[in-house]
Amino acid sequence: MNNIIRTEHAAKTYTIGEITTTALKDVSLEIPQGSFTCIVGPSGHGKSTLMHLIGGLDRPSDGKVYIGDMEISRIANSDLARLRAKRVGFVFQFFNLLQGLTAIENVEIAMMLAGVPDREQRVRAEELLALVGLTEKAGSKPSQLSGGQQQRVAIARALANDPDILLMDEPTGNLDSVAEAEVLDLLQTLHRQGKTVVIVTHSDEVAKRAERIIRVKDGLVDQ
Amino acid sequence: MTPSKLVFRNITRRRGRFVFTLLGITIGIASFVTFMAMGGNLKREIHRETAALGASLMVLPKGSCGYEQLSILTGDQMPTNITVDEVKKIRDIKGLTAVPYLSQQTAINNRPVSVTGIEPQATFAFKRWQMAQGSYFSSEESKDAVIGVVAAKQFDLKPGSTITVRGEKLTVQGILAETGGRDDAGIFLALPLAQRLFKAHEQVSYVAVRVDNLAQTEAYIEKIREAVSLGVVSDKQMLKSVMGIVGSVNITLQLIAAVAVLASAFGIVNTMMAATYERKREIGILQALGARRRMIFALFMMESGIYGVIGGVSGVVAGLLAAAVATPYITQNAFTTMVKGSGSGTLIDLKVIIYSILFSTVVAILAGIYPAWRAARLTPVEAISYE
Repeated sequence: MNNIIRTEHAAKTYTIGEITTTALKDVSLEIPQGSFTCIVGPSGHGKSTLMHLIGGLDRPSDGKVYIGDMEISRIANSDLARLRAKRVGFVFQFFNLLQGLTAIENVEIAMMLAGVPDREQRVRAEELLALVGLTEKAGSKPSQLSGGQQQRVAIARALANDPDILLMDEPTGNLDSVAEAEVLDLLQTLHRQGKTVVIVTHSDEVAKRAERIIRVKDGLVDQ
Repeated sequence: MTPSKLVFRNITRRRGRFVFTLLGITIGIASFVTFMAMGGNLKREIHRETAALGASLMVLPKGSCGYEQLSILTGDQMPTNITVDEVKKIRDIKGLTAVPYLSQQTAINNRPVSVTGIEPQATFAFKRWQMAQGSYFSSEESKDAVIGVVAAKQFDLKPGSTITVRGEKLTVQGILAETGGRDDAGIFLALPLAQRLFKAHEQVSYVAVRVDNLAQTEAYIEKIREAVSLGVVSDKQMLKSVMGIVGSVNITLQLIAAVAVLASAFGIVNTMMAATYERKREIGILQALGARRRMIFALFMMESGIYGVIGGVSGVVAGLLAAAVATPYITQNAFTTMVKGSGSGTLIDLKVIIYSILFSTVVAILAGIYPAWRAARLTPVEAISYE
């Protein structure tokens, strides 16, 4: 199986004022294409940082990060943006929908940023909302949706440009158990359809569903 | 979804802030437009008044400057330093028609009105006047008054009404047909009566001269200067010096208005800065979804640009309304009396409209650069981790 995500000795330090914090020390890992992987570990040990690096939201201070054959730690900002638009779909703990837009517009905006023409956006966004079971809520603003519904909109949005990889940071962290189960079922369906799913979590419920588990502790991968 | 739709959604999310920021730029542009419109009207009126004089040369006291020349056009009070004897000497020169005027002011119902002493027959022919109501002066020594059509309307006067000038009751004999110029707003008296009332015995303010052969105008300036010790200007010179005065007043007013527009630009900076802080997280979301820095920058620039366009349009509308409404209430003085004109109204100058909207848009775009740059400079992680 090909590895779609690979890191070699990736490290990340942040400097705020005169204080330097090391979030990741030395992480080398491989995530096969089409796998369902969970990155688990205690809060503050570098899980989210790791997700930011492998999703191209941030660059490592040291080491290398690959998506497929592309070494993304050195490419231009605009290429990194294109990679996020087309190859990676993000889902965050706090849903992170744009509050001023309706559910369907939140899905469309991801396509707009990838350069999909306005008319095609609507058709595909409707399909995606149907996929996550929210056809009826297409015209609702995020504030009119429950947490579980918002997270399903976020998943629809992450799927908008048919990315290879779904990267999720605590996607069920703010959901009750019923909504959590619904979201996880949806993710498993997507995984069966061939998506590579990577979830950062400290929920056992989520980790139970994963094929592979990567443990992060003190900025290192705990094998 | 398109970038412009997104911008529109964002801009209308905070309606109060949107409206207040817009008001700032609207007021700035409105004052700019008001001054421009008034200035434009003033220039048009000056051209018209100069043409309405029907004269190719003006004879004024020696040492007169642009201000006196402007007074001729506005009907302001002028010194009476030219003697009837000098008028006669000018008239003795062959090939020209000379008409003397005594330019004074009085007040009716506490509003200033220009009073001009004229030689009835000579002026009637010189200005090619016509009557609207009543009759013209019956003789050169008439004790009555003839008034312009705007003055008649302004003070509700008809033939037979009386007006008081310098304590003396005068009967309105007739009302002139509309000339489209400043004469419409004036009161005319026969020269002997005016000289008596304003204690200017045997004196006049200026002499308008029409040369039969226009090609010889320059030569006649010399001829008049030889005959009398007075200043002579051609209509073109007069127009030039008067426009010079008006132009500098206009520029001063426009600079003040431009400062108002610049002040409102900082309102836009403020609003856009607030928006970048408020939407920090959303900027992060857009970046996570693949928005490039260029796109973030463009979205914010479009937003501030919209303030400029909408503010420009509403400012133009408000400014033209203000110019139209305010113009009739402007008190008479040398610079503004003509804006009042003869009720021809504010002419809408397309150039003023286009320049103002353009100005407002450019200012708004410049105001948006810094906030947009701040927004685009955020890194995705920094933006998305913002609580």
